Amino acid sequence: MIPRGPEVFLWIIGGSAGSFNPIRSFLHQMPYYREVAIILCLHRLRNPRVGMVEAIGALKGWEVSEPDDKTYIHGGHVYISPADYHLLVEATGYLSLSVEEPVHFSRPSIDVLLESVVRARWKKAAAALFSGANRDGAQGMYLMHQAGHFTAIQDPDDAEIRTMPEAALALFEPNVRFKAADFVKVCLQAITL
Amino acid sequence: MLTEFLPDISDAELEQFMQIMLTQHGYDFRGYAPASLKRRLGLVIKKYGFTSLIPLNQRLLTQPEYLRYFINEITVSTTELFRDPAAWVALRVQALPPFFALPEIRIWHVGASTGEEVISMAILLQEIGLYSRARIFATDIDDISIEKAKSAQYPARSRNLYKQNFQAVFPTSSFEKYAHEEGGHLVFDPSLLKNTRFLKHNIVTEAAFGEFEVILCRNLLIYFTPPLQDQVVTKLVDSLVPGGILMIGTKESLFWCSAAKRLIAVNDSERIYRKQK
Ligand SMILES: C[S@@+](CC[C@H](N)C(=O)[O-])C[C@H]1O[C@@H](n2cnc3c(N)ncnc32)[C@H](O)[C@@H]1O
Repeated sequence: MIPRGPEVFLWIIGGSAGSFNPIRSFLHQMPYYREVAIILCLHRLRNPRVGMVEAIGALKGWEVSEPDDKTYIHGGHVYISPADYHLLVEATGYLSLSVEEPVHFSRPSIDVLLESVVRARWKKAAAALFSGANRDGAQGMYLMHQAGHFTAIQDPDDAEIRTMPEAALALFEPNVRFKAADFVKVCLQAITL
Repeated sequence: MLTEFLPDISDAELEQFMQIMLTQHGYDFRGYAPASLKRRLGLVIKKYGFTSLIPLNQRLLTQPEYLRYFINEITVSTTELFRDPAAWVALRVQALPPFFALPEIRIWHVGASTGEEVISMAILLQEIGLYSRARIFATDIDDISIEKAKSAQYPARSRNLYKQNFQAVFPTSSFEKYAHEEGGHLVFDPSLLKNTRFLKHNIVTEAAFGEFEVILCRNLLIYFTPPLQDQVVTKLVDSLVPGGILMIGTKESLFWCSAAKRLIAVNDSERIYRKQK
């Protein structure tokens, strides 16, 4: 049986400008874990020409989708926040969408997603923040850290745009500062803790 | 405290709050999905400098006139003209033609918010020559949004997006036929609302009224838990004539709704359904 709902380990990955390629190549190297769901919250064009699922391409084992509202979380999935909606995690194990106003000019917002994970008092979760040109994600990462979850922030020197990781690092020191090329190792480290 | 950024709200606090809203003020939020509701409540608490729901409850009891502002603040009213243009094209091309011959077409916008969706529908009907036969009801729980909807005026900064969406649905028609800018506002032709009645109505707690050829309920179900989605969609499908159309938001799903059995997809990816005859 594939783990579902609140039993699933959530690996939340946020990024903005300069994060898509490193995250895509990470996903293609990441071994399949049926206990884990990866949730991507990436800032993107409002009306993208190609869907994000297509842009990521087929992965080994992992199923990739842009979830509809109230999708029940399943392990072994990569969920991508749909364009122009916030994605939130419900304590009962569902993904909810919201059209609430953008946060840090962003919808989806990484802060909104991470805040929901903390409010849901999700048991097993970790979060990472990649390159980006704004401050979204900093508060959310800090909340995750305070809630006792594993956090990882891309080394600003390794990031294409350092603003986003730097904004988070100004608030707290995460478990790991990583280089994009090493992120698979970081990801596995959190899962097997 | 969750952090200095955001007040935490425990399940017990939320429970108590919902009980007070129900018994003292007649609003039933029990089936609302907690993630967004807690976030909105957290934002309101923070805005007023409170740290928990207790002073907020107090304020609602001692200053009842504040209730309408509060409802406006915790509901999410984001909307736009022709949101998801492809869905509106599908509505026009695939869903509406069977009604072209009817002497009257009744339409219900559930959760109409500030009215952009209502204006979109009015423009669409105007473009296909059906508007004079339409009878439109637009309802929402939030009377501040309803007041804005009645004015048919929006901030001028909405213009680019609204015009772009309009043009995506009607590439050869002119946006300026319907709206002009005046004193910092984008003002729509008031005749677009002449067949429309705006009503304060709670789809969760109040009965439906009448039968409709078309019901739009978009980006409202996302704020409900699956059981409440099921209950509300049943109410909506009951209010459709056989062959009537239900249109929901493009990321909403009928997966948890038993009434989906009574619907056939007109365009599944644009979330447009027809009630079986
Ligand atoms: C995000 S807006 C959707 C606006 C429009 N339908 C659209 O899709 O662009 C959601 C609206 O639903 C309203 N609403 C929330 N709960 C409601 C209820 N129980 N009954 C009626 N309307 C409700 C809110 O006040 C808000 O105006």
